Amino acid sequence: MSNSENNERWKSALKAVKDAILVPTLAIITAVIVGGLVIAVVGGDPFAAYAGLFQGAFGSVKAISETGVWATPYIFAGLAVALAFKGGLFNIGGEGQLALGATTSALVGYGLPLWLGYEPPMYIHLTLALGAGALVGFIWGAIPGALKAYTGAHEVINTIMMNYIALNVVSFLMNGPMKDHNPLNVIARTPLIAEGARIAPIFSGLRIHWGFGLALLAAFIVWWLLWKTTLGFEIRTVGANPDAAKYAGINVKKIMTLTMGLSGMLAGLAGSIEVTGLNYRHELGFSSGYGFDAIAIALLGKNHPVGVVLAAILFAAMRNGATRMQFLTQIPVDIISVIQALILLFVAADSIVRYIYRIKQSGEKVVLTRGWGG
Amino acid sequence: MKKQYTLFAILLVVSMLLAACGAPAEKAADCKSEEVFCVGLVTDVGKIDDKSFNQSAWEGVKLAEKDLAATVQYIETTDAKDYDKNIATFGDAGYDVVVTVGFALGEATSKAAAAYPETSFIGVDQFLEAAAPNQAGLNFPEDQAGFLVGALAAQMSASKKIGGVFATDAVPPVWRFGEGYRAGIAYIDPALEVNIVYHNDVGFDKTFVDPEWGATTANSMVDKGVDVIFAGGGKTGNGAVIAAAQKGIYAIGVDTDQYYTIPEAQKMLLSSAMKLITPGVFDLVKAAKEGTMTSGNNFGSAGYAPFHDLDSKVPAEVKAKMEEIAKGLLDGSIKTNVAPVKP
Repeated sequence: MSNSENNERWKSALKAVKDAILVPTLAIITAVIVGGLVIAVVGGDPFAAYAGLFQGAFGSVKAISETGVWATPYIFAGLAVALAFKGGLFNIGGEGQLALGATTSALVGYGLPLWLGYEPPMYIHLTLALGAGALVGFIWGAIPGALKAYTGAHEVINTIMMNYIALNVVSFLMNGPMKDHNPLNVIARTPLIAEGARIAPIFSGLRIHWGFGLALLAAFIVWWLLWKTTLGFEIRTVGANPDAAKYAGINVKKIMTLTMGLSGMLAGLAGSIEVTGLNYRHELGFSSGYGFDAIAIALLGKNHPVGVVLAAILFAAMRNGATRMQFLTQIPVDIISVIQALILLFVAADSIVRYIYRIKQSGEKVVLTRGWGG
Repeated sequence: MKKQYTLFAILLVVSMLLAACGAPAEKAADCKSEEVFCVGLVTDVGKIDDKSFNQSAWEGVKLAEKDLAATVQYIETTDAKDYDKNIATFGDAGYDVVVTVGFALGEATSKAAAAYPETSFIGVDQFLEAAAPNQAGLNFPEDQAGFLVGALAAQMSASKKIGGVFATDAVPPVWRFGEGYRAGIAYIDPALEVNIVYHNDVGFDKTFVDPEWGATTANSMVDKGVDVIFAGGGKTGNGAVIAAAQKGIYAIGVDTDQYYTIPEAQKMLLSSAMKLITPGVFDLVKAAKEGTMTSGNNFGSAGYAPFHDLDSKVPAEVKAKMEEIAKGLLDGSIKTNVAPVKP
């Protein structure tokens, strides 16, 4: 390969990266500026607010650890949505898959020693707890995938409806059969899981745990799966054009079901990791809203695992830094939701950003979901 | 043209980051110093102005700001996993007292009490099995609250038939509300007809979240001629309060002033059996300042909510009698004789 060819390759790779990050970056900047105006309008000092936000997210070792804690489920859930998008499917069911994954892991976490009568070794117990959460997430995701593939029922509708089923089942379990029956306990939560089912913290004294490492590993695996394996090629082909995929001999129905299953599995793991790595139990109200935040994270990350990790860290930093911002300035934490919504708005309606900053459209357009015809 | 816009954007971001790196507008008060008395409050998931527990506790802290010259601050919790972090934010800043609101924060509060021995912790509605020396749980005599509204109901009933609709009596606070109510009615007139029903026929998963049962039970009581109903126990109780109000009889709420939390029932809501969180929090904060806070379980006092829309319907002598009973309960001359848990 000649030098100039090599140069060309580098140039086009750089251009691709620039194209990929330009709009999201400008969207974030625009959202931060507009958010600052909103803060100023309600009588706050935007500079003090953002200073507090930054301090709370990255200002100390503890703050960075907490941002990592927040980022962990966001990465898993964001990957879930991004993987489905790559396959041309829109998984809005992350919320339910996540809650079921968390509940299942909690059940295995506290129930297995009771059922066996002794405490299994950690590598078995933890693996089973995570595996069970992943499996339930897979099944819960694969159902709407199969319904779409074999009957044409739209996955957007079905994942939303299955959220309700999942959340109500979890609510029943938390209030009834799985409730911590300590007489002093009045809230809907499970007993604590056994020591052997817990993911260890990375540093003692800080809450960040090895689940964060697993999240980064998951991002790598998703990247590898999508771009380095036949299955990934099939998923992307179905996502780009199901008809072409069919004529190319790909089993579109199988791939659709599998894609949603894998997506659900990642979302389920987001819940499992929260239970085994952080909370050591599941409780109603834990991890609520992550499945929806994940959609924003996947969009902002342009459905690329690296983008998802970066977007997840950004969202985590905002959610985590909000406490310190409120502590220092008494600006309501709701402003963070406003900024997140603005980011999403500017990413989704990227022509606004392109117009403001005079950027020409380049490259292919991302297909997020398809209509009924599929 | 395009370059200029990008440049402009970059400049803006850089200037914001610079501002961020500069000294943030930190409050002047230094909570680490001995002279400055600082009180922080961490809410349960919810807003500070929830017209319920969070707000009542915060009002107690605000009193400390006024009367004890305390520096006060709150953090609203947006996600249960932030309990630890939010409490630690105050601990790290050297706050003297941290108030945590609600049963769900109990474990996080116990952990923080061990980690920050210099800070006093007050847990609202947290019954403690074991407490650190710097940790107090603020609980309430539900039986007295029930007793007060029982006495009120007995005086306001024209039909001499009084009803009570509650979630399961296996949960001690519910039992204390219900039996206190019975005792309060008997205190006024032992001959009155009392219908008290606990929702014991279903499991724990259902007993607090069954507004339909609450409404049906209240309606059947109204059909039997009952004209005052006190209801307690989450959504089940709320269902009964709404049904009673819709049937046009007096309804009595529970825990906080439900005039603000059940707007559908405002017109007929006579009062609510209240846990007086605001003075309870203030007293403990004051004790903490003076170094006299007793660790472990503390008990605040009970009360009844204002009559609001029905104020003109309550005769002056009933109001006087209620004040007399409240005083008697407080100084111990009146006793409810209700066991803490169902025997």
